[in-house]
Amino acid sequence: MTKHLKIIDYAITSLLRRRYKSFAILAAYSLTVTTLASVLFLTHALRTETDYIMQGVPDLIVQRTIAGRHELIPVDYAEKIGAIPGVSGIRPRYWGYYYDGLTEANYTLLGSGGEPAPLQMLTGRLPVNPGESAVGAGVAALRGSAVSGELILVNSRNIGVLFQVTGLFRSESNLLTNDLVVLTDRDIVDFFGFPPGEATDFAVSIPQSSEIQTIAAKIKQLYPDTRPITKRELTRTYDMVFGWRSGMMLTVFCAAIIAFCIMAWDKATGLSADEKLEIGILKAIGWDTADVLALKFWEGLIISLTAFLSGMILAYVHVFFFNGFVLAAVIKGWSVLFPTFRLTPAFNLFYVLIMGFFTVVPYVASTVIPTWRAAITDPDSVMRG
Amino acid sequence: MALIEVEKVSKVHNPGLADEMKALDGVSLSIERGDVAVLTGPSGSGKTSLISLIGCMARPTEGKIRVDGKDVVKLPERFLTDIRRRRFGFIFQQFHLIRELTVLENVLLPLYPLETSFRTMKDTALAILHKLRIDGKKSLKIKNLSGGEQQRVAIARALVNEPQIIVADEPTAHLDSRLAQEFMDILKLCNQEGKTIIIATHDPFIQTNPLVSKTIAMRDGRLESMKKK
Repeated sequence: MTKHLKIIDYAITSLLRRRYKSFAILAAYSLTVTTLASVLFLTHALRTETDYIMQGVPDLIVQRTIAGRHELIPVDYAEKIGAIPGVSGIRPRYWGYYYDGLTEANYTLLGSGGEPAPLQMLTGRLPVNPGESAVGAGVAALRGSAVSGELILVNSRNIGVLFQVTGLFRSESNLLTNDLVVLTDRDIVDFFGFPPGEATDFAVSIPQSSEIQTIAAKIKQLYPDTRPITKRELTRTYDMVFGWRSGMMLTVFCAAIIAFCIMAWDKATGLSADEKLEIGILKAIGWDTADVLALKFWEGLIISLTAFLSGMILAYVHVFFFNGFVLAAVIKGWSVLFPTFRLTPAFNLFYVLIMGFFTVVPYVASTVIPTWRAAITDPDSVMRG
Repeated sequence: MALIEVEKVSKVHNPGLADEMKALDGVSLSIERGDVAVLTGPSGSGKTSLISLIGCMARPTEGKIRVDGKDVVKLPERFLTDIRRRRFGFIFQQFHLIRELTVLENVLLPLYPLETSFRTMKDTALAILHKLRIDGKKSLKIKNLSGGEQQRVAIARALVNEPQIIVADEPTAHLDSRLAQEFMDILKLCNQEGKTIIIATHDPFIQTNPLVSKTIAMRDGRLESMKKK
């Protein structure tokens, strides 16, 4: 034990002695781990966010399509759909996209009539009276609504409408609410100029998930111009979107892995003349082969664990405190109004351990193996200079 | 019984390769406890190869080497290391100190693999440095020392394990006559403490020094003569 503590002490001294080289390796290694871990944290956190979003999605959404194009749906369709056995509730939803020429950004305008659970992350309150609104952090930032308490939007009749801001969505909900403007249902109908008795779509509640497909088929049969979208279909769409983006992340991941392999290979392919000489000296003055290997093992472990831990911490800070600003553009999508959302810290310990295994072990091996080759030779060569 | 017995030892470097070279050819000799033995001979005569074998830093191609009666040729590597650690102290031609370490850290090096505490290690090393009158420079890095000071550190490192046998390869090659005399004075002290000293050199100053008790002359890998004073 004492011997190993002393060898660890010498390993630290050796690393400090070669401080520039050690620091360069540590920096490159940390950067690689930061990239790998950022990809890991970001994809996992986004998947968690997706799951979170999906919790608030209705069991079934019913849209109307004409010639394949999304069209407003008559509210009176709700009566027959609501009467289908297995349907516990149906409500019309009023929403639409709004392009704001002033800020060159797209907002989502949504009626407040019965909001899904995540929209409760609000400071203030949802609009209750005409002329009131609740806005996402992105909209508030662009339009200065948090300060002025007002929001002006141009309606379908090309008239500016002033809304009082009664609520502000908190940053934790940014992925969901960044571009969101919530108005009363009546204001939405009036703002977009929806014809009376028409809504954007229906949200249908079906307690028995096994009945969703059957009910969707019945709705389609009842109203052939509708398009029932099940929660499962939405989940699949999200999976495909994130799957595609995960593919891009995988590319970044592979590049980082390749960089790491090159570094490990470079290290594994040989020792410098000074390193060989030092091994020879240590052996000549009484260090055993096992002592030399222990020294290099500890050197490798100190470097790799330090780099791994600092890389993980940097990645955690990068993703969850700075919103993954380096990689986020790749993964967050095409919205003009990029959400500056704060991801909920979430990571899979198993992946972290796997990553630790695939970075620390090869590095330590690439440190020890060439040393072993040098350490098993006779120290006679040192005697010769 | 002699402390070191070398019996018909041969050493071939790089056997089977294009640069194969026979460094030693059937050398036999013995060194008694307390001897100050000098290996002489021109460059390439096999001096360094012979002290490498005696110091258990390499194995002979043929022949036997006994240290304190024990045949070391067939011993596994870890036993050879143990013998090197406990019985031998080496002083290399170019000192082979680690330049970026301090004087104290260099002297501590042979003690790291032992199960002794840091405090004991440090006390032992400081005592040796004090004895060699270089303790005032214990915190300086090797690269900041003069040649003579570096050699004192190399000697301190060789002595820190309290070895029975000191092996030195061309120890005065880079020293002026004053420093060479200082070196011999230190060896004299060691010899008075009962240590056996083996020096490979072609420096006439050492060869003719009164401290030397045995002169072993080498030529072309063979023993040319062995004279006891």
